[in-house]
Amino acid sequence: MIKRSFFALSKPRLTYDLLDTSLQSAQELAVPGSLTLLLPEEIDSAKKALIGPGDAVKKGQKLKLYDDSTPYVLSPVAGTIKEFDSYSDDFGSTGTYIVVKPDPSAQGDDQWAQADLEQTLEFAADYLGQIPGALPVSTLTNPNYDIRTIVVTGADADILCDTCQFVCTAYAGLMVAGAKILKAMTRADRMCITVPENLSAQVDLDGFNVLRTSDTYPSNLPAMVMKDHLGKTLSPGAIPEDEGVCFIRPEALVSLAQIYETGHPVFDKIITLIDKGGKKYRVKATIGTPISKIFSCFNVQINERDRIIIGGPMRGFATYTAHHPVVPDMDTIMVQDSDVVPELLDNACVNCGECVRICPANIPVNLLVRYLEANLYEEAADRFDLESCIECGLCGYVCRARIPLYQYIRLGKHELLTLRENA
Amino acid sequence: MTNTKLIVSHAPFWHNGDSLFQQNLNFFIALLPAALFGIFHFGAPALGVLALAASSAMLWEVIMSALSKKKMAIADMESAVIGLLFGMMVPATMPWWVVITGTFIAVVLGKFVFGGTGGNPFHPTLVGLAILTMSWPAFLDFDTAYVSYQFDFTALAPLVALKSQGTSALASFSNYDLLMGNEVGGIGSTFGLGIIIGGIYLILKGYARWEIVASFIAGILITATLFFVLHPDTYAPPLFHLLSGYTLIGAFFLAVENSSSPVNRIPMLIYGFLGGFMIILVRNIGVYPDGTILAILLINLVNPLIDIIRPKALGKGVSNA
Ligand code: SF4
Ligand code: SF4
Repeated sequence: MIKRSFFALSKPRLTYDLLDTSLQSAQELAVPGSLTLLLPEEIDSAKKALIGPGDAVKKGQKLKLYDDSTPYVLSPVAGTIKEFDSYSDDFGSTGTYIVVKPDPSAQGDDQWAQADLEQTLEFAADYLGQIPGALPVSTLTNPNYDIRTIVVTGADADILCDTCQFVCTAYAGLMVAGAKILKAMTRADRMCITVPENLSAQVDLDGFNVLRTSDTYPSNLPAMVMKDHLGKTLSPGAIPEDEGVCFIRPEALVSLAQIYETGHPVFDKIITLIDKGGKKYRVKATIGTPISKIFSCFNVQINERDRIIIGGPMRGFATYTAHHPVVPDMDTIMVQDSDVVPELLDNACVNCGECVRICPANIPVNLLVRYLEANLYEEAADRFDLESCIECGLCGYVCRARIPLYQYIRLGKHELLTLRENA
Repeated sequence: MTNTKLIVSHAPFWHNGDSLFQQNLNFFIALLPAALFGIFHFGAPALGVLALAASSAMLWEVIMSALSKKKMAIADMESAVIGLLFGMMVPATMPWWVVITGTFIAVVLGKFVFGGTGGNPFHPTLVGLAILTMSWPAFLDFDTAYVSYQFDFTALAPLVALKSQGTSALASFSNYDLLMGNEVGGIGSTFGLGIIIGGIYLILKGYARWEIVASFIAGILITATLFFVLHPDTYAPPLFHLLSGYTLIGAFFLAVENSSSPVNRIPMLIYGFLGGFMIILVRNIGVYPDGTILAILLINLVNPLIDIIRPKALGKGVSNA
């Protein structure tokens, strides 16, 4: 953890990690005895479900709850559905866990063998919504957006993370192939890729417009890339998609290329595990694998009061269980020892201004937080620029009063959206 | 691993380690050179006053937190700093009951009535001092406070002498003496050099904003120079103003208090400059000999009005929707 320096007259500078080249390849993890698939739809007991515990599933089979549901998952294995469970995330969005028990004896005849592999967005929406790397098909097919530029995040957005850099360098060929496929599917005419400016690895990025991003956090966040490299400053509350730009993980392209090359779906997600000492491990795990399996594979001990973070230290989220499954957009898992878990307090803002000085979006966080604490979300947006926030978390990182600023802000934005939707 | 209790909290999961305790500890450390000099200079009574001021302020904090059922924040040391600053600005001979009344006003009226830490629109110490100045000015009279002392320098408070005797009094105070603390005044507010060293330390540590300090001093020097150049016989030279009275402690330690000062750059510059400007106005035109307390309370008051000048947030005014 980077501490305030002894003399702190200048702004603290957090830098991104460069690719850890000592890890040449990702260790493959065997398919565990049970997989948990995460479906973003709640069980509705009034409706008749299409699937239920005890049902046999085939590898690659599309699982959805009801006839009229859009969310689906693909079963990574042939086996039996063991049970359903419900889950809810940080903001109270709910969904369903589908637990599948793999059956090694089942024949690997997946539905896909028959299906025509079409290079169309419709096909992608139907079958490729859950590929490793999480291709944002719902964005690409959304008629409200006119996606013309695709930015591949070759530079990881959060500090410490290097999974995207690894995928770009280790699977460059597949990624380039995947980019061609995606370009053919969509109306995008510009394919960009962010690459850390001081990354020395030589990769052939044929067909890409290379954007060299600085090593200072948060220059790899979408809003910053838009502003610094695409010359499009997002207006408050806007997202890159509104400007016709879609950000995609390199792994999504790799998966895409593999699928069209082999005609079979892929389920291996590349993940970087960062242990308490900061040591990195690279692993390839089947989607649905409980992350506890990854810990035991590398003998990483999880103790009482430790913290497991999915994502990086600035923007990730903490999970309450080591059974959390591997999901298509999980790049990094980080374990933090109970000793270094920073204490957050319910202090009032003391107006020290640290947050104001560090905020890359010039937000008066010191005033904003007062309104967020009072649940005045509209005022927070109108007068104190809540919607300009690019969600970098730097304000929380420096807050002298140890206020969970970033959480207040994320929650505030969420509440604001809810308010507006209901209005 | 099944039932391992994990900590769930929110991003960011790193923190730069800064805290209110660190802030106040550094204020405390930065105040030490000037405070120690005061003890050395004014003897045991000075130590008594400083100790009483700091401890009574902390006691008021404990009592008030208990009464208002607020979380005990005594360990943050904020009250200790409020109390210490109070002690450093009063004479070493101040009676104990005046000291504790002063810290009571500072902590209770200066801080708690506004909701505690972070809520105070004025510097709490100054609230205490201002009310004492109005109610019992005799206890803050540095000329009478030290009558029993033997000094080997002019035992007159420089600014009071200036006010009553005019510029003829200036001959008794060299800039060197003022810088080295050879003057009478508050326990910890006379040793200019110590205050400057402590103040610079605080700036370098990032706990005082240099913009405020620099513009405050610039405000003093520029305004005083204007007066001095126009009427050198009537007004004191700029350096005299900078080095005497509460000016330095005001610039380095009082004007920079977080809650009552701006955070944006341009407002900080305006705020500081205005403070320095007001001090000289009070001294040269007004009735009070010093004016630092008044001037800082005044800029505290206008702080919310000027701190709205701030850079445009990202994407504001962009019309590429
Ligand atoms: S997270 Fe905080 S520092 Fe980052 S843009 Fe938002 S308000 Fe500014
Ligand atoms: S860093 Fe925290 S305490 Fe300081 S101004 Fe910002 S919100 Fe307030």
